[in-house]
Parts: sequence; C-alpha cells; structure tokens
Amino acid sequence: MNVSLTRWSAWAPGIETNEAWEAWARSPAPLAKEGAPDAKFLPAMLRRRCTPLTRTMLAAAWGCLDAAELPALRSVFASRHGSINESIGLLENVVRREKLSPATFSHTVHNAQAALFSIAAVNRAASSSLSAMDDTWACAWLEALTFLERDPAAPVLVVIGDVPLADTFAPLCDEPAVPYAFACRLATEGDGPRIGLSLDEARDALPRPAWPHALDFLRWLLAGGDAPLALGARGTRYTFRKTS
Amino acid sequence: MARTPCSLVALGQVNALGKSNAEVAKGLFAGDTSGLVPRDLVPERSHLFGAVRDPLPEIPARLARFDCRNNRLALAALEQIRPELEGALARFGRARIGVVAGTSTSGVGDAEEAIAVRERTGALAREFDYAQLEFGGLAGFLAEAAGVRGPAYTLSTACSSGARALATARSLVRLGLCDAVISGAADSLCGLTANGFASLGALSAGITSPCSRNRDGLTLGEGAALFLVTGDPGGIQLLGVGESSEAHHISAPDPEGNGAEAAMRMALADAGLAPAEIAYLNLHGTGTPQNDPMECAAVARVFGNGVACSSTKALVGHGLGAAGALEAAFCWLVLAAREGGALPLPPHVFDGERDPAMAQIRLAAPGESVNAGPRPRVLTNSFGFGGSNCTLVLGADGDA
Repeated sequence: MNVSLTRWSAWAPGIETNEAWEAWARSPAPLAKEGAPDAKFLPAMLRRRCTPLTRTMLAAAWGCLDAAELPALRSVFASRHGSINESIGLLENVVRREKLSPATFSHTVHNAQAALFSIAAVNRAASSSLSAMDDTWACAWLEALTFLERDPAAPVLVVIGDVPLADTFAPLCDEPAVPYAFACRLATEGDGPRIGLSLDEARDALPRPAWPHALDFLRWLLAGGDAPLALGARGTRYTFRKTS
Repeated sequence: MARTPCSLVALGQVNALGKSNAEVAKGLFAGDTSGLVPRDLVPERSHLFGAVRDPLPEIPARLARFDCRNNRLALAALEQIRPELEGALARFGRARIGVVAGTSTSGVGDAEEAIAVRERTGALAREFDYAQLEFGGLAGFLAEAAGVRGPAYTLSTACSSGARALATARSLVRLGLCDAVISGAADSLCGLTANGFASLGALSAGITSPCSRNRDGLTLGEGAALFLVTGDPGGIQLLGVGESSEAHHISAPDPEGNGAEAAMRMALADAGLAPAEIAYLNLHGTGTPQNDPMECAAVARVFGNGVACSSTKALVGHGLGAAGALEAAFCWLVLAAREGGALPLPPHVFDGERDPAMAQIRLAAPGESVNAGPRPRVLTNSFGFGGSNCTLVLGADGDA
C-alpha cells in the first residue's frame, strides 16, 4: 500500500526546523545526547506534568499539523522505551516497600504521550501506542497503514520519539541513544512524496545507522535520492521506496 | 468490495481459571471466583489477585534473554495453538506470519527483582535483560518462540491493549501484509501495578463487585490469550472494531461515557449490525466507582436494557493490558459453546446489590443462556487509562 507523506516535523537538540533537518540530511552527523523542547504551545499546567519525552513528541506533533487537524486526526504514537525512565523511581519505591505517587504512576503507561496529546489537542479520534525493540519505526508505519485500512479517507498522524535510557538500564541496551521525535502525516492521497513499504525475510543483518531508524528514514526522505531504504534489526526486512 | 474475513482460527489462554480453553470455559460459565487469592504485593494491605497458579512452561534456553513471567504466560497460551500454527507455517511460510501483542506490564515484575538484587549487591541481577522489560520484548519473544518472521510489535494502550491488538491483526491481513497473525495479549501481576492502583485508591478490599452499590474498586489479575488470525471465512470471526479517545483525564474516564458509547457505536457500524442483533455484551466492568456508572449509562444509550451483559472481572481479575484479549477469548468461548442457537452466558458475578443510581442494564444471571439464532453476535468493551477505548464484535454462523 503506497501512501502520501503530506507533512512532517522533527525535533532533536539544536535541529528544530525543517530547514535545519534538510541541512542535516545533506550531511548527517551524530546527534546531541541531551536536551528537550520547551513546548510553549502547551498550557502551563499540562506542561509541568509532561516528561521530556512527552514534550519532545508533542513538539513534533504540533509542528506537523495545523490547528484544524490537531483535534481531528487519528494518531499512532511509537516509542521503544516510552516512560521507562519515570518507572525506575517507582520500581525502587516498590522494592523498598514505599508508597507510590499516583500521578507518576498514571503517567508511566506507554500511552501517556498519546493520552496527553488527546487531552491537549482535544482529540477524540482513535489512537494507538506501540513499541517494537529496534524495529519500532517500521512498525509505527505499519500501524498507520492499519488505520488507513480501517478508514482510507482520513489521514493519520504518526509520532515517534525516545529519550536516552537512564543509567539503571542504559548499559543493557546497545543503541544510538539520543533524544528525538519525528512526526508525519500519512494519507492515501494528497500532495507530497508517495512511499511504499514492502516486507520480506532478512537473510543478513543490515548495518545499523548511527542515529535512530526514524531519523535515517528522514535523511533518506530528504536527501536519499531514488534508491530504496532497507531497515530491519531482526528477522524482517522493511524496504521503503519512493514510488513517485 | 467485500472485505477479507477475519477468522479467529485458534485460541490459547491461561488465567486464574485455568490453562486451557476447557478449564477456562468451565469456570467462566460456572462463575467461579476461587481463582482470586491473597498475594503479598502491597505493604500492610491484604488484597486478592487473579493469579495463575498453574506451573508455566520454561522459556527455551536459546531465548533466555526473554525469560520473565510475562513471556512464560504468553508461551503457555502459544503452546495451545501450536498445531494450528504449524499448519499456518506450512501453508503460508514463516515470513508471512506476524505477531501483534498487547501488554501493559511486560516483564516489569522481573525488573523489580533485578532492582531488589541491586539494592543488596550494587548490581542488577545477572539474568536480567532489558528485553524482558521493554514493551516490544513480548512481540519479539513470541515471534522467536513461534518461529515466524513477519512483522512483530507490541501495542500498549493500557487496558485496551489486548483488544487493539486484534484490530491491528485484522488490518494487517486485509492489507495483505500478513497471511496470518498471532495476536492477543499477556500481562503479569507485579508490585508496580498493584501498588500503583493502590496509590490511586482503586483496589477493592475483597472480590471486585461490578455494578454493586458497595463496589469499592478493582481486583487485579494476570493471564494471556493468543489467537491465530487469518483471512479465512467461517468459524468464529472478528466482525467489528470501534475505537475512540476521550481527551478527558490521564487516569479517569469521561463520567458521561461518551468515549465508551462512540467505541460501541463504531464497532456495531463496522460490523454492519443493529444493537438488537447483539446477544451478549462483555462489560469492561472493573468495579471502580468511576467505570461502572459511565459504562452502564453508555450501554443503556446504545442497547437499552435488551442485551444480556456481564463483567467477568470477579472471575479472573482485571488483566489490564491483557484484559481485552482475555475477554475476547471469553466471547470466543461463548460462541464456541453455541448449540442450536442457544448461547450459554458467563454470569455477572457480584454481591447482588445493584447500585440504584446507575442505568439498570440487564445483567446475565447464573446458569442463563440466550437464544441467539443461527448467527450469534457478541461484543466486548475495553477502556484504558488515558482515555483509550476499544470495542470488538465477534460472531459465528451456523452450528459449532
């Protein structure tokens, strides 16, 4: 199923505009390890409750959609780690048999970013939240396709992001850990590049980019020419192609 | 254009009622609450939990990094559908079979143990691996354990995760991205969720009592349910999916039940059914002060008091991320037990004292069955933290 990528937005420390991302895509370099957007578009009350990951993902979402579409579009939120950093303190509370903060607990569900998006954007459309180890970006794309299968006429917002794991678990997870988010608007028809995704079995391990898969997709989208982009960390190879 | 059917070809499950379809069906139709047992998970408080007491299968040594209770529960369900899975592997090939699984806990209970070891020794438990804790680990494990190479991902939208996984599986088959999908959910009891819900004042002192005037919260449970989903006609089908968000609150539902109503209406429309065609409705029915009034109001607006409803939370507890799949599995068992149009119903188990302040929907009585005709249709609701709602409609045609 080919779809149109009609809008996009991304955030990483120091690369905060589409022009800056186009420059990065032409000569990509490793990304900064620290930073989070101030997300001034959120009401102060809500912003205070937002973790760095939530602020980062919502900044990309707000950059991607105009005001009329923020409350209307269905959404897919993808993050490998989600709110695991916030869970660490709760796990320590549990082990020490201390009381948990109900507010912190409520915000550690994996769909916390989707929930806060729904609340802040007053969006009551369907939303999904997912995680797929190293293949989280490709699976976010698939999940968006499933939304377009259920209603081809309505575009879908895809938001992916992560922040580096805290020290407790970081040594257990080998990955290019940077704070980032990428959002795009996918539609069955519309202006923007047409992109297809095909799946097949990976025969060999693919080389891993020096930045998250989603940002390698963005690099390819902006400056990758006509060659396909193959991603995949495990048994499945995901091949993105520009079809027009 | 006719849409590809969505057959729930095979089902495996484990929960507080047992570790096979036959064991679970027996407890389900009998309204057996004996699976709720005390566990010392919340300091200085005694609560009941829907715990799986059966021994669980060992994780194969080659997959040791995935070894956690959550994945053992999932493996217990997977082993039950192995014969049908082998058939699908021969028919479609491993690259055409995907995994979409739901969870809200993943292996967080094992992460608690790893951190307890760190408190004593200064280092995380040696056998702990991040793949046990990360949400994607459940789908990654299942793909490896099943020997499939299609896409594998985990959905985690709190208590609607398991229902949403089935919605995605149906779409992946309809899109032609997979020929079969292993789909369902697993969630495991752990200190984090027990103490988290305790901190919210949401745990019942005894057995949860949905729709009762005395209801005082939920009883947590654990379990796994996995379906083999294909595009074949016949058998038990997933006929409708409805989804909504609430834009309301991070941990409380919209008191009007508008999100719940929207999900139910959308699922009926997707299935092409009128409300009167639903023979049984499995409530989300958590027994919290907030859930039951809003859900009953929403059910009453859509169905009046014509449809027999029950919450099965007093039998297995609230399986959180697994609940949507566990309850789709109960609906599957209801349909599989049909006999000449008669459907046996899981009774609504509570203390018998209806809350007069709530919409008086029809609750299924012990031993009740309904005449659903030759094409029985049933519906199940799942509502999650953050206002994530998913409703499924299942059905079957003809005799079992």
